[in-house]
Amino acid sequence: MTEPAERLRIPPKPTHRLRTALVVAAFAAFTIATCLPAIGGVELDFAAIAKNWQNGAEKVGQLLQPDLSFLPRTIGPMLETIQMAVLGAAVAAVVSVPLTLWAARPTNPEGVTRRIVRFLVNIVRAVPDLVYATILVAVVGVGALPGLLTLFLFDVGIVVKLVSEAIDSTDHPYMEAGRAAGGTQTQINRLTALPQTWPLFANQWLYALELNVRISAILGIVGAGGIGRLLDERRSFYAYDDVGVVILEILVVVIAIEAFSNFLRRRLV
Amino acid sequence: MSVPAAARSLGVRLPPRPSKLVPTITAIVVGAIVVLSTAGLSITWSDLLAIPGELLHYGRLMFESPDWDKLPRALTEVWRSISMAWLGAILCVVISVPLGMLAARGVGPAWLRYPLRGVFAVIRAVPEVIIALILLTVTGLTPFTGALALGIAGIGTQGKWVYETVESVQEGASEAVRAAGGTTADVARWALWPAALPTLASFALYRFEINIRTSAVLGLIGAGGIGSMLSNYTNYREWSTVGMLLIVVVAATMLMDAISGAIRRRIMEGATVRELGRIL
Repeated sequence: MTEPAERLRIPPKPTHRLRTALVVAAFAAFTIATCLPAIGGVELDFAAIAKNWQNGAEKVGQLLQPDLSFLPRTIGPMLETIQMAVLGAAVAAVVSVPLTLWAARPTNPEGVTRRIVRFLVNIVRAVPDLVYATILVAVVGVGALPGLLTLFLFDVGIVVKLVSEAIDSTDHPYMEAGRAAGGTQTQINRLTALPQTWPLFANQWLYALELNVRISAILGIVGAGGIGRLLDERRSFYAYDDVGVVILEILVVVIAIEAFSNFLRRRLV
Repeated sequence: MSVPAAARSLGVRLPPRPSKLVPTITAIVVGAIVVLSTAGLSITWSDLLAIPGELLHYGRLMFESPDWDKLPRALTEVWRSISMAWLGAILCVVISVPLGMLAARGVGPAWLRYPLRGVFAVIRAVPEVIIALILLTVTGLTPFTGALALGIAGIGTQGKWVYETVESVQEGASEAVRAAGGTTADVARWALWPAALPTLASFALYRFEINIRTSAVLGLIGAGGIGSMLSNYTNYREWSTVGMLLIVVVAATMLMDAISGAIRRRIMEGATVRELGRIL
């Protein structure tokens, strides 16, 4: 005897309860582990906030009363900061183009060189900016040069990574056309990939410039030139009204550069 | 034979070439700014020639025989940096998600939206080191200060990402909730929040990745962690230890990036076919 036609089997409704519990447990375990001073975690010291919050409020209060007569002395270092930011971004922009084309799959189908370039860029990106500055100051001496090199390395890292990933994730019918027409990889890159990617590049270069102003404002703390040196100097004299001026100036310049690059970006995209 | 000539011989009229005036002017202006910046910097450019040699020399000192004796301490300090980054990311996300939601168009009222965006912009402009310098008058030179500084400094960017994400959510679900008689709070809870959640979670992990790099920076001013150790040994000129520390920093950062990146991809792209097979 045959059974009535086997019923359509509906897969069971997926239950997420176990998975949710596991994710929450992992999250909680990791968070607790980060709070254990015994293994190197952070000691949460909320009592200190309750006890000393006036100190911080006082500092903020001092910062909010900037001594504007200090402003003329900050112009020179600020100019140096901006110059470092511009030059670092410009040199990085030039270097980033070939590296990006090497690091993206469509523009460099050859696996070995692509992996090598990507690996090197990842290493460059993994070192924090002020760490570069600290070591470069020790190597080439105090001044704007280590700051410039730091910004350059930092910019190359982010531009190559972001643009090469963007190239990887888009379709490239133009490049196929180029290949069908018998172009070599270099010709295809030059005539199809590059014109398509310029807006992406420009976008990231501007982003790098913005970040540069922000970073170079603090590079001086380790001796790498620019406004940060002044900031650190005034702070070590506890001249918080002067520090307030410097922070205010950094704020104005950062916002100005951001507005400028947003304007350029709208024109580009 | 060039293309235009070929076209002409076939009697095809080519459209005129687009004007290159604006790009040319832009290029000249940018070039001038770069040249001026270069001229203004007080750098003795001949120093550049010596740099490859110097770097090779110091590279040798650092990496020829890295000093692994202090590895256990370095690992503790790396964990401290990661802890700072993690707690900072939690603090940052806990503050910036509600504030960012309120700053999104269609959720918060205008009188709240614009001040909040202003606050985000101001925090974005203040370097995290300065926030740390203010905080250390409250909580001292401790990793806790570092975590707080990371948490507060991140609010500016994170808040901006939150309201941009919420604003980019498709209109459909919001309209449906509103049509069913929902209030703005209902819209935020039942339409915007579920749609924005994966992106927000991904951004939260991304904040953690950024914080790992920044926590090393805060270490340089004495907040503890691998940055403090690195800056100390650089100041002592103990290059073989510095080399070891650099290797540890790079390895830890890349490892954390890889883990966090894998989780982010899983959140954004959902389960792969193979994983689905296992779940069902």
